[in-house]
Amino acid sequence: MKPTLLLAAALSLSAFGTLTTHAANQPLVDTEWATKNAQDAKVRLVEVSVDPGVFEKGHLPGAQNVRWHTDLVDPVRRDIISKEQFEALASKLGITPETTVVLYGDNNNWFAAWGAWIFNYYGHKDVRLLDGGRVKWEAEKRPYSTEIASVTPTQYKVTEVNSNLRARLPDVVAIAEGKKDARLLDIRSPDEFAGKIIAPPGVQELAIRAGHVPTAVNLPWKVVVKEDGTFKSPEDLKKLYAEKGIDGNQEVVVYCRIGERSAHSWFVLNQLLGYNARQYDGSWTEYGNAVGVPIDNPAGTVWTGK
Amino acid sequence: MTRKLQVVAALALVAAAVATGYWLHGDARFGRDASLTWWVGIALGVVLQRARFCFFCNLREALEEREPRPLLGILTALAAGTVGAVIIFGAWIPDATAGYLPQRGHISPAAWPMLAGGLLFGVGMAFSGSCISAHFYRLAEGSPLSPVALLSALGGFALGDLFWNPLYLAAYRMAKPVWLPEIAGFGAALLGQLALLGVLAWWLWRRRVPVTPEPQPASVHEALWVRRWPWWAGGLAVGALLSVALLRTQPLGVTAELTARGHQLAQQWGWAPERLEGIDGLRGCILPASSAPLSLNALLILGLVAGSLVASFLGGHFEWEKPPLRRLASAALGGLLLGVGSRMALGCTIGTLLGGITALSLSGWLFAIGLVGGVWAGLRLRRVWW
Repeated sequence: MKPTLLLAAALSLSAFGTLTTHAANQPLVDTEWATKNAQDAKVRLVEVSVDPGVFEKGHLPGAQNVRWHTDLVDPVRRDIISKEQFEALASKLGITPETTVVLYGDNNNWFAAWGAWIFNYYGHKDVRLLDGGRVKWEAEKRPYSTEIASVTPTQYKVTEVNSNLRARLPDVVAIAEGKKDARLLDIRSPDEFAGKIIAPPGVQELAIRAGHVPTAVNLPWKVVVKEDGTFKSPEDLKKLYAEKGIDGNQEVVVYCRIGERSAHSWFVLNQLLGYNARQYDGSWTEYGNAVGVPIDNPAGTVWTGK
Repeated sequence: MTRKLQVVAALALVAAAVATGYWLHGDARFGRDASLTWWVGIALGVVLQRARFCFFCNLREALEEREPRPLLGILTALAAGTVGAVIIFGAWIPDATAGYLPQRGHISPAAWPMLAGGLLFGVGMAFSGSCISAHFYRLAEGSPLSPVALLSALGGFALGDLFWNPLYLAAYRMAKPVWLPEIAGFGAALLGQLALLGVLAWWLWRRRVPVTPEPQPASVHEALWVRRWPWWAGGLAVGALLSVALLRTQPLGVTAELTARGHQLAQQWGWAPERLEGIDGLRGCILPASSAPLSLNALLILGLVAGSLVASFLGGHFEWEKPPLRRLASAALGGLLLGVGSRMALGCTIGTLLGGITALSLSGWLFAIGLVGGVWAGLRLRRVWW
């Protein structure tokens, strides 16, 4: 190819890049972007909040609501929704494989990130988070709407399942026993990690054992966000994880207590930093209750039935 | 208190209420939801006191004196609140038969404790002189019975910890909320409920006895602050407040905070169970989850009392009378039943009855049926006692 042709091709590509409003591989959007593109038919705003009742009080204009207790999990088996259930949900939300799905929610996007993980797991191409979520939107005095936008349902089909984004118990045991070369990241509080407590106060989902998976390092989820709820810069994030020996050279498996908050750190590792990261959604409530698995319990707390 | 002193106190209270609302709005621990809840509480206090929106007195007047107008006020509130709720729910859920409930609204399971709780609550109203919300506005009129009844009710809420878990497992766990729009759609449910309220109103109106009309109020002040508001005005105002609260804060209710405090007492007295089953999955005035120093429900109640105080002072209604001991004992016994009944039925006349019926939940009707039966029985029982 002649150099001039190459240049022309590059120019037209870059022109194309500036013309499209949503370039691929941009996992974060800011509030300004969300305001401008909310009405774009190719964009679908989806709220996934810890408290699903906040949506009705007011949400981003044009957004749809997803209830994580029932819409994203199988209510009987302890599992994420099946491929068929995901297809039904995405169809109901009027999403096509080309749609840019922008998720946001309350509590630092905890469950919005969990939703993003599931959308990625089922192979949706363009999944993003609204940086800062509801807190930042409100702090900037942007408007809410109480109207539920009606959408035309689609016929969504999942073409590939990214099962490499999910870790299961045997994978985690293999890492703990040194049979598999990967890192483990525990994003719970230092007291839970040390085994001083089994779960935070007021929490019902417990484990029989305290402590953490052997070889895991502890970096609570909160350190990756700034005061205003937005994520820290990629450079800062890289530095934070590097201090714990996670630098992207090895696969990293991230877990928490019930496997939802860890999706938040998974999003940072996998989507923002591009590391090979998996989310272990069974997390401590599965691992700490499993029979005969190795456990590191520095504090030595044992459940005594009280 | 002299008239002049009461007016000064009312104005000082208004200034304090404005300052509190402003401060709540700006404080990071509270915010706009808390501020709005505070104002809803104030407005509710003014309306309840001015319209004398007392479930027991209104029922008693209709049953014993054949004076239906005050009870028509309650039916008006139910009708107006239903219209408001349907408008709001319709915005949240385009199709009511979709298979899920709106995220807010006191749509509780239709189970027998609704009926039984209503019955106990009705008897409790007859013995204590009114329901929980009316006791709150009577505090502001200087009633010495109301503090006794409310403290005793708190004991009743604490007693609830003794029976909550078995009651929940036996009656509520497997019971489903029956939400009328889910069966028939919004339109038919709304029309059906309005028709039923209309028939009740017509029946009450037919059996009224003639009363001599009161002379016109001499001044605006007298009409607003001294005379009891007309039944329809109070009813419409309560209906509007139900809708505002449903849309913007939490569905109205005055017993969630009392339940929480009762639970605290039960813990102190050592009979609280390790865990109250099911409270995360049930709708109603149960335990307020709050990280703020005061729950939204506590703010609503404080606002209600403050609002009633303003209304009471402006009209010169604050009066202190010494009741006979027998009445105090009756108020204490009645209060206990109010607490136990509320705990069984997940709320009282505000949350379960007004909130439930206007949200088109069968649970509200069950409570109302039990309540009327309880008042009927209580009126007879108390003749023996008093």
